[in-house]
Amino acid sequence: MTYEAALQSEVFLTYLKIIGGLLVFAGVMITILRVSGKNVSGVWNTYRGWLVMVPIVIGTIFLGRTAIIAGVALLAIFGFKEFARATGLYNDWWMTGLVYLGIVLLGVASYVPDPRLGYEGWYGFFMALPAFVIGAILLVPIFRNRAQGQLQQIALAIVGFMYFGWMFSHLGFLANTTYAYGYILYLIFAVEINDIAAFTCGKLFGKHKLLEKISPNKTIEGSVGAIIISLGIPWLLWFSFPHFEPWHLVATGLIVGVGGQLGDLVISYIKRDIGIKDMGAVIKGHGGILDRVDSMIFVAPIFFHAIRWIHGIREVPVS
Amino acid sequence: MTEWEYQPSPDIDETMSEHLRNFPRQPYMFMYAIRSIAAILLRGWMRVYHRMRIDGRSNLPATGSYILVCNHTSHLDTLCMLCSVPLRQIHRTFPAAAADYFFSSLPRSAVSAILINALPFDRKVKGAESLTVCSELLKNEGNVLIIFPEGTRTTTGEMGRFRSGIGRLVVGTDLPVVPCYLDGGTTAWPKGKAFPRPRKLSLRIGKPKRYSHLGKSSESVIAICADLQDAVAELGRSPQ
Repeated sequence: MTYEAALQSEVFLTYLKIIGGLLVFAGVMITILRVSGKNVSGVWNTYRGWLVMVPIVIGTIFLGRTAIIAGVALLAIFGFKEFARATGLYNDWWMTGLVYLGIVLLGVASYVPDPRLGYEGWYGFFMALPAFVIGAILLVPIFRNRAQGQLQQIALAIVGFMYFGWMFSHLGFLANTTYAYGYILYLIFAVEINDIAAFTCGKLFGKHKLLEKISPNKTIEGSVGAIIISLGIPWLLWFSFPHFEPWHLVATGLIVGVGGQLGDLVISYIKRDIGIKDMGAVIKGHGGILDRVDSMIFVAPIFFHAIRWIHGIREVPVS
Repeated sequence: MTEWEYQPSPDIDETMSEHLRNFPRQPYMFMYAIRSIAAILLRGWMRVYHRMRIDGRSNLPATGSYILVCNHTSHLDTLCMLCSVPLRQIHRTFPAAAADYFFSSLPRSAVSAILINALPFDRKVKGAESLTVCSELLKNEGNVLIIFPEGTRTTTGEMGRFRSGIGRLVVGTDLPVVPCYLDGGTTAWPKGKAFPRPRKLSLRIGKPKRYSHLGKSSESVIAICADLQDAVAELGRSPQ
């Protein structure tokens, strides 16, 4: 993946057109609603957030593998930072520092070639890292000679590393696959569409609460609507992974549709337990980084391993 | 099982620019790392480019909070003062900086907050409020506050009159105030020029002064200001 390859890639260019078209369409729709006298200030803020984020994401993918892996590692670091600040783990610099180091190592593992096989991306190291990082985190209280409250600290640090670091970094590792453009662009696009679909369907048809104690605004109608739309998307974007069989498309749609909403719910109950509304305020109209990538964290590893089990991450399947 | 107690950071709902402008700041690991690296680079640059010389470093109190006051000739003053304190104290050294200038835009706030660790001082509207922030800061052991009592950079090279802020801050307390004099700032970086020139800088640090014997009155404030102004001017006259 380089920027030359991106310009040659049919898949990349098609996504560019689709996403550009959707942004223009959404802008026109909001303008029409605004002219017709509806209050769209909330939607407008969210839309402006997209106008900033989309070029950054597309630009990163355009620049290629290095930029994608570095970008995912940075998002993971700042995402974990939000989690650490929300829980109070941030005051513990040893724990936080170790998790940062672990995330950087995940990026390195995704980037360097496998020393034995020579492929780009050291899969074995990537998968073994949690053992080492968790081991290191567990040793911190020993070196400090402190027991009071340490279980909470290590538990938060391990959840932080595994969830926001390791699981999310699978997205970066996808840059090493043969169909990297198709996989990554599809995943980001489908996950965001799933989010928007859940929100929109909930607004339009929502009546029955889904899980009131975790997230009071989510409805069963919104959730079902999002799953239906997510099931349809892989068929429209079949060109991203031409080697997929129809049941693969169904599975992919389910992974995004169900997994995306589960990821959303995970962040929701974490926030609810801590007692905060948003994880941060970095992205205007969206909240923190974690409020934006919550669904992706859950979907990325499932999608990655599904791909790996069915097709392998490098082999071009013979059909 | 008892429930865990979370302590969300108090600035969790703030945007990036609010993070940078608000004071006191939460301790950010990235900020500390960048600031430490910047401080080391700054020290090297001041030594090489400006051949900076610091006399009287042993006068700095080893423990407790203290205030550094200095004449204000250019932006180099702050940088020079930052080089005078021990490196491990760099994150607890706060130069009071005019909020209307150093925190007026996002890039400026980023430089002021991250690299300089500046305390946004409102010299126009809420001066008293900013002074309260300063005295709160100094109540914690081991904080260093850098103040330029003239309030603005001199254009003539002559030292201006010390404003009453420093007096109001110190009066009725036992805080040590360390007078300093920086020589060469006006020629090294004249007001209005974009870049500093490679001129020699020399910083003289005087003996700490305490004013706990003075009562809390407006006369004492004037006396403290005058005394500090004399002390700084005296350092300026003393031979190299």
